[in-house]
Amino acid sequence: MSTKPDKVGAVLVVGAGIAGIQASLDLAESGYYVYLVEKSPAIGGTMPMLDKTFPTNDCSMCILSPKLVECGRHLNVETITNSEVADIQGEPGNFKVTINKKARMVDPDKCTGCGSCAEECPVKVDDDFNQGLNKRKAIYKLYAQAYPNAYAIDTTRCLKIKKPKACGKCLEVCQANAIDHLMQDETLELQVGSVILCPGFEKYDVSQLWYYGYGKLPNVITSMEFERLLSASGPFGGHLQRPADGQEPKKIAWLQCVGSRNCRNEHGYCSSVCCMYAIKEAVIAKEHTKYPLDTAIFFMDMRTYGKDFEKYYDRARLENGVRFIRSRVFEVTDTFDDTGNCQIRYSNEDGTIVTEDFDLVVLSLGLEPPSGMVQLADKLGLELNKFNFCESPSLTGVGTSKPGIFVAGAFSGPRDIPETVMQASAAASDSAAVLADVRGTMTKAKEYPAEKDVAGEVIRTGVFICHCGINIGGVVNVPEVVAYAKTLPGVAFADEKLYACSQDTSAQIKEAIDQYGLNRVVVASCSPRTHEPMFQETLKEAGLNANLFEMTNIRDQCSWVHMQEPEKATAKAKDLVKMAIYKSALLEPIDGVTLDMNHDALVIGGGVAGITASLGLSKQGYKVYLVEKSAELGGIANQLRFGMRGEDLPSYISDLVAEVNADANIKVSTGVEITDVHGFVGNFETTLSSGDVIPHGVTIIATGAREYKPTEYLYGQNKNVMTLLELESLLANKDSKVTGAKNVVFVQCVGSRDAERPYCSRICCTKSVKQALKVKELNPNANVFVLYRDIRTYGFFEEMYREARNKGVIFVRYSADNKPVVEAGADSVKVTVTDHVLGIPIEINADIVGLAAAIVPDKDTNSKLSQFYKVPLNQEGFFLEAHMKLRPVDFGTDGVFMCGLAHGPKNLEENISQAKAAVGRACTVLAKQSISVEGKSAFVNERKCAGCGDCEAVCPAKAVQVDAIKKVAVVNEALCKGCGACASTCRCGAINVKGCTNQQLIAMIKAL
Amino acid sequence: MERDPKIVAFLCNWCSYAGADLAGIGRIQYPPNIRVVRIPCTGRINPLFIISALRHGADGVLTSG
Amino acid sequence: MQAIAAQVKEAAKKLLEDKKVDLVVGFAEGSLPLRGTPFFARTPEEANQLTWNRGCENNLANFLRKREGKVAVVAKGCDVRSIVALTKENQIDRDNLYIIGVPCDGMVDRKKVGKLLGGKEVLEVVDQGDTIVLKGNGFAETAKLADLLHNSCIDCRYGNPVVYDELIGTLMPEKAEEDFAEIKAFEAKTTAERRAFMTEEFSKCIRCYACRNACPMCYCTECFVDCSQPEWIGKSAANVQDNILFQAVRVFHSAGRCADCGACERACPMGINLRLLTRKLVKDVKVLFNAEAGVSMDDKAAMATFAADDPEPFLVKE
Repeated sequence: MSTKPDKVGAVLVVGAGIAGIQASLDLAESGYYVYLVEKSPAIGGTMPMLDKTFPTNDCSMCILSPKLVECGRHLNVETITNSEVADIQGEPGNFKVTINKKARMVDPDKCTGCGSCAEECPVKVDDDFNQGLNKRKAIYKLYAQAYPNAYAIDTTRCLKIKKPKACGKCLEVCQANAIDHLMQDETLELQVGSVILCPGFEKYDVSQLWYYGYGKLPNVITSMEFERLLSASGPFGGHLQRPADGQEPKKIAWLQCVGSRNCRNEHGYCSSVCCMYAIKEAVIAKEHTKYPLDTAIFFMDMRTYGKDFEKYYDRARLENGVRFIRSRVFEVTDTFDDTGNCQIRYSNEDGTIVTEDFDLVVLSLGLEPPSGMVQLADKLGLELNKFNFCESPSLTGVGTSKPGIFVAGAFSGPRDIPETVMQASAAASDSAAVLADVRGTMTKAKEYPAEKDVAGEVIRTGVFICHCGINIGGVVNVPEVVAYAKTLPGVAFADEKLYACSQDTSAQIKEAIDQYGLNRVVVASCSPRTHEPMFQETLKEAGLNANLFEMTNIRDQCSWVHMQEPEKATAKAKDLVKMAIYKSALLEPIDGVTLDMNHDALVIGGGVAGITASLGLSKQGYKVYLVEKSAELGGIANQLRFGMRGEDLPSYISDLVAEVNADANIKVSTGVEITDVHGFVGNFETTLSSGDVIPHGVTIIATGAREYKPTEYLYGQNKNVMTLLELESLLANKDSKVTGAKNVVFVQCVGSRDAERPYCSRICCTKSVKQALKVKELNPNANVFVLYRDIRTYGFFEEMYREARNKGVIFVRYSADNKPVVEAGADSVKVTVTDHVLGIPIEINADIVGLAAAIVPDKDTNSKLSQFYKVPLNQEGFFLEAHMKLRPVDFGTDGVFMCGLAHGPKNLEENISQAKAAVGRACTVLAKQSISVEGKSAFVNERKCAGCGDCEAVCPAKAVQVDAIKKVAVVNEALCKGCGACASTCRCGAINVKGCTNQQLIAMIKAL
Repeated sequence: MERDPKIVAFLCNWCSYAGADLAGIGRIQYPPNIRVVRIPCTGRINPLFIISALRHGADGVLTSG
Repeated sequence: MQAIAAQVKEAAKKLLEDKKVDLVVGFAEGSLPLRGTPFFARTPEEANQLTWNRGCENNLANFLRKREGKVAVVAKGCDVRSIVALTKENQIDRDNLYIIGVPCDGMVDRKKVGKLLGGKEVLEVVDQGDTIVLKGNGFAETAKLADLLHNSCIDCRYGNPVVYDELIGTLMPEKAEEDFAEIKAFEAKTTAERRAFMTEEFSKCIRCYACRNACPMCYCTECFVDCSQPEWIGKSAANVQDNILFQAVRVFHSAGRCADCGACERACPMGINLRLLTRKLVKDVKVLFNAEAGVSMDDKAAMATFAADDPEPFLVKE
């Protein structure tokens, strides 16, 4: 056996924001025990503070909440709050970690989170979570849905801790005896095999920039304060008002790049997320007001470079009427008219200086590295960059300078939630790679209480109606709905809940099930699509079958959409609750099904993403089939010569190809395509054009993308006009065309951000800047022009943009309705562009015109795979993930994942990271011994079935067959998706769907 | 008398029900006359459901998927 | 006719004697003229009772579902179409069925005879090919066969069995496409007119379900009408809306499966014009999907097959 005795099958995850939570869940599901260490008293990080998330406008708390609960409940994730890592010693596979755990003064196991203590506590403290916009008490819970759902004492403010006899009111009211003011700080020592650092970020301290007036002018606030203003669980319950005087603002300005792209302040990088969150805040603010709200965003370059971001920007501008002002802001001052309003003095692009008054000014704060990490990094010898972000070695995605220690999220550079989540899964994958042989050695298995047999019992339904803060309760009269529910047949118990999804409510539901002998549970709250599994878990923990649960959506489909009609919304909520109760009476327990699974993986696409994914899976001990359509591996990266940070890509690629070819776990097939696919997660059967049939358990799609072949700017007609990929080889070969050039022009957004492809190709700005610098390096006397719409050198690439300007590269902005014109000349081409500063056309005789051509998906391949694996594409033909924010590499179809350019434009580093993320996610499936099917499948009443075979004919999953001898339909539960097409086709009602029977649905209809 | 019809909507969990959720997230206001029945797929809509809804007093039936 | 009857007898006898089949389903003389009755011959002797005449109107496919052993059937065109449809629905095992196909140019509708004779009883019928002599106490009336055939037989284009193992008689020339004139006329009516007609027609319905029992395709173990969990529709004949609903759903259930044999209408004791509804669906399925029930063993079930080029007129396109 190769198992080294000293390897530890556990991973330390530092920081419990969304990255820490995702990494922990991935690892725990993949067979590793996780210690999740969090500085604050609750997990969640920044996401719970945000109101909505771009580009889907999902409520941040709502999408996070199920993950919080899942992480909090997970048997193999040990959450250690109020704690910080003091030291990490050892080597990959075996680290000794020292943790300083601060005394919480409240035992989280005893505390029920009832809040009586906080009601009694006499000490008011600024509420940090709400950015100091209101007060909390010295004993507090970080936020309503916090996990652990337990209070904590602010030891710096508690009276009793200062003077033991001074207070103690909390002790008097705590029924659970959870409070102990004598609790001591502790030092914990843990053994782990790998470490993932995801301490997140801090927001920029804006008091350094006096000219924005923050702290001086009451109506200049930060973007994070604005998030809390918008939030329904924020200090003003989601009512949009100025925090200083409570007035409703009519005009709000957002100032971008506050503490970003500012080298005078050692913040020369772009914070990457501010453009999008400012747009989001403006759009959401407009939704909040009943009156027309004027919103203006003052910006330098609009950096909406992520997937679907550009469309969001377009919508904000064209549909929501958000004003975008390209400008430089000089200062914000008082209007000096006793209104408290602010005056913004700024310069337009053409240099004119203008002032405009606003009721409220929001500063879009940049992201800073967490200050606490500098000391730890120093101790560990962890390399940080000049801004004190973690320096990740080139093309590792999530590596650090210390082997065995990985990084995810904003600690290695500012990034948004999906990228953070992606990195978290990637770090999970990399951190598990060295631990493959000790997988499963430290994990525990979950045991539920024995399921109660409810057969034959009288129906006793418990109904829980959620206020969702004010999201529901602000419109629907919840107490009235509760009272109504109590009158309905079978209802044994009905109650209202502030947040039905919080940990304490879950405990209360379990208690009610016990106390009232409930055998059906109905929750009326938000969408079952997001929250049903969480409540079902609660039922299981209470010993009830998960399918004795019914949920109805009185928020997204009621209170939120009938805001002006509270009475009718209440009537509708009653109807919906009644329907759910009627259906619930007919619910029956459904047992899951367990099936064998294949533990091999199929990776489609042999580019860098596909190869990286294959190697990642192999390292974890899984067998991989890597198939590539073309004759050789490497994909589009074969056409690249330099990485974004100057890496030598040809040798990187050849090393990668050699590694994958040498890997005994990986079977590479080139020159083949997929011709047919059968089966489902754990049991796929994919047929190749070679005739080979590959049985596999999971699929990773990494089909890549290609460079758009322009039809504009004389491309293909004039030898001086070329795409960036074509220019790259000239640069690499130091071609005389480059070294002898007088004028080199780069044209941005060729085929991107237009009507046909309304997306940003993300990497072209950086690539053009990189190539412009290369031209300057090879030929310092050349004039280099970059014609752009917005320069989108996000993150640390901004440094490169600055370097280019310093070295004399000339950036000329053009607008979409006045594009540059390229005309053929004798030896050169004439490029005419209207400069926005001067306002007059400039003519350049260019020797080289480099077109930053769009990244376009391979629509044919993608649509074929889309049908084969039943996974969706977006409008542009890229694959569409299960959730834009929190499931960036997953599909709705189990066992199918994606990575790389097939998902959308991104640079090599990001593709590598995403490939590792796909591995991290795939391993959560492959680590399972067998496949468990939920069991909500079709079932046949053999007594009724005549065996006519119509169900067989209509089943899209090929899950039903008529038994030749018995002449009745038989369902393969593993294949059945539960769509119910069979049940709708069956004339006599012999086939039905568990959890959605004819009878149950008619009961709902009859309830009306 | 003002017309206040009751409309039963059969919405597919994966698309139109999600769409209705999205309408909520987008705070798109629409009349509160609709009562949604969530189904696993539009394929689950047995024609008899539509007939039953009408028989039980629905003024209209919306199927979407 | 007599010649065919003799051949049927012979064929059946031979099958039973050779033990090729255990049972021959055919017709025997009924107690009255023009009243062929379904007959089950299990021995060569019993086969002697088999016959063939203008009264063999019943659809014998009804008696062939899920039979044990080898069975032969004396089948005219409509019977065979139903047999084909039922075979595809796993109700008949073609390998165990021997089809004695008999081309059929129509069966006589006794209601038409009754009308012609003003209610006088027929005691003897002489088949003369295109004409038929109806004899009774003190009368003998010669009538054109075409005037006495069932409407379904007049509309029928598949008098020749589409599938058979043995053919008795000679195949007939193909008929022209039918025009569904009465359906088109019905469709041309206003909604109100159609509703008025249906209400009138289905106020007669007594919910005896004879239509359902006569229909070879109505073989559900439990009909949706009888289902009480959930109760899809009311069971009382007093509610005309429910009566219409029953028939409408029954007809929808037979869409793409109904061979238009007319058994339902013949069985209706209240004289409801049921074929108006069944044929509306026959026409729609033909027009929309270019499909006809039971005319080929290879065709897939029209309503359970999705093709990308299926017309979808119900989708509103912008």
